[in-house]
Amino acid sequence: MLKEIADFLNQKIPAAKAQAVEVEVGTGHVKIEASEWLSVAKLLKNTQPFDMNVLEVVSGVDFKDRIEVNYMLASFTQNTEAMIKISLPKTGALDLVEVDSVCALWKAANFQERECFDMLGVSFRGHPDLRRILCPEDWEGFPLRKDYQVQETYQGMTVNPIEKVNQRDHHFYKEIQAKYDVKQVSFSWKGDSEGGDDEAADAEA
Amino acid sequence: MSSSPKHIKDENEDTLTPAARPREAMKSELLTLNMGPQHPATHGVLRVEIKTDSEVVAEATPYLGYLHRCMEKHSENVDYRGVIPFVDRMDYLAAINMEWGYVLAVEKMLGVEVPKRAEYLRVIVGELQRVASHLMFFGTYAIDLGAFSPFLYAFQDREQILRLFEELSGARLLYNYFWIGGVWNDATDSQLKRIEEFCDTMDENLKKYHSLVGENSIFIGRTANVGIMDTQMCLDFGATGPVLRGSGFARDLRKAKPYSLYSELDFDIITGTGAKGTLGDCWDRYDVRMREMHESLKIIRQCLAGIEAGPVMGKVKKIIKLPEGEIFMSTECPRGELGYHIVSDGAAKPYRVKVKSSCFTHVGMLPEVAPGLLIADFVATIGSIDIVLGEVDR
Repeated sequence: MLKEIADFLNQKIPAAKAQAVEVEVGTGHVKIEASEWLSVAKLLKNTQPFDMNVLEVVSGVDFKDRIEVNYMLASFTQNTEAMIKISLPKTGALDLVEVDSVCALWKAANFQERECFDMLGVSFRGHPDLRRILCPEDWEGFPLRKDYQVQETYQGMTVNPIEKVNQRDHHFYKEIQAKYDVKQVSFSWKGDSEGGDDEAADAEA
Repeated sequence: MSSSPKHIKDENEDTLTPAARPREAMKSELLTLNMGPQHPATHGVLRVEIKTDSEVVAEATPYLGYLHRCMEKHSENVDYRGVIPFVDRMDYLAAINMEWGYVLAVEKMLGVEVPKRAEYLRVIVGELQRVASHLMFFGTYAIDLGAFSPFLYAFQDREQILRLFEELSGARLLYNYFWIGGVWNDATDSQLKRIEEFCDTMDENLKKYHSLVGENSIFIGRTANVGIMDTQMCLDFGATGPVLRGSGFARDLRKAKPYSLYSELDFDIITGTGAKGTLGDCWDRYDVRMREMHESLKIIRQCLAGIEAGPVMGKVKKIIKLPEGEIFMSTECPRGELGYHIVSDGAAKPYRVKVKSSCFTHVGMLPEVAPGLLIADFVATIGSIDIVLGEVDR
């Protein structure tokens, strides 16, 4: 299925450089160039063998150097699904990255793209009403980016005041901070040695 | 809004009779009305700004986020097992189904085999939860339309399900019952027997409730031909679940992409018929849910007949690490399809968990259906798509 889509796209729009990525576990995807996304979407929606009449979700993922936007397209008539992935290079923590909006093709894109904008700072070119949707209008930063830092005050109120944070968690976090580089702690916080604990547990299972 | 009443009065002074003047002046402005966030008909903290022309809605704009906890960010900071209680708290009326999708996605990535008995228990509990959730819809929807007693009937039966769940999992609403690899606790024979008895009484009760509410002429008058969402609109907006099926389109993920045991079970996809009005109106969505409960009971009976003794937890490592990659997995929840997009970088915590919520999609349809509805009909429409704000805002 993914290979068919990629071949078809390469034939019609060579500039999209479609590339099918099949995987053994999980969900595969078709990777395309961001600049061609709108024409690719149009083609997939309106061409019969694919007939992608539903946009299920727009899911953004933040990486160190780029933001990937995954579009889950589905055809409810053919009962098929395909993930289209585009990758947008990132410049700074608060900078927006840009891609074409597909609101004109699927009305579902309206809310989905607004959420992606709100959470990851992806600006959708041509969106009719690109506002924040889950966070307040005057919120700063994009919460689902990995380098996001919560603002200290919001409209004169302190965000996460010390006395309201669960004190046990707070002290625990302080302890962890003193011991490790928090960003490097990649497993559950308990346990002293990262590797040893893991292997022991594996042997036990 | 462009012209003030005063301006209109000046302009028409000569042409209108004195009696017609105030009527003309009234037409000039749309009234902005704020519905919610603390409004009983919005089923939680949804705020809809509606512009009305007398009693007719001209424009509706939903504002979300009053219950936003950013559980997707929280999920990135806990291990794979730790995410389950978070997803519970999204759709708190169907917590079991919320867990199910997540657990399935992780299991698929890990390649864990779930024991047969656990699968049976999952289907039984999942379908019971669907019945409980639809009962909640039935009760609150009747309240939205001004009938109070169906709510009490619905809660009586829902309470029985919650008690069973409490015995099974120790919690009434937020269960943390599905674990990666199986379920947390085994059910006893007496519990299964009680579920069977419940199915029998429920079948009878549902027929009674339907004749009490669904066939009531006032109820039909309030819901038939109101808030019509046709198939094309549903597909455009990506609507799923009872909203899509109510429009006459037969799609149920339990049949379309069977997971767990559903490929072995016998049940029908319920679609709207347009029996009382137009296809895809509020009554159809109500009707789909009512008939779906019978199907759920049918599934539960088959599972109770087929369940065998055995373990309820598969072999899973103590620290779960998913292989590098990503997965998108959706399941059929009471309110529609729920999808999880999990990205893993090989560590013990998820790199990204994105939830595709059906309620979020359905709220997006409100601005499209609202124009032209009476305010009271708009309330009926919000009720009929059965949103839970915990899932909308996540």
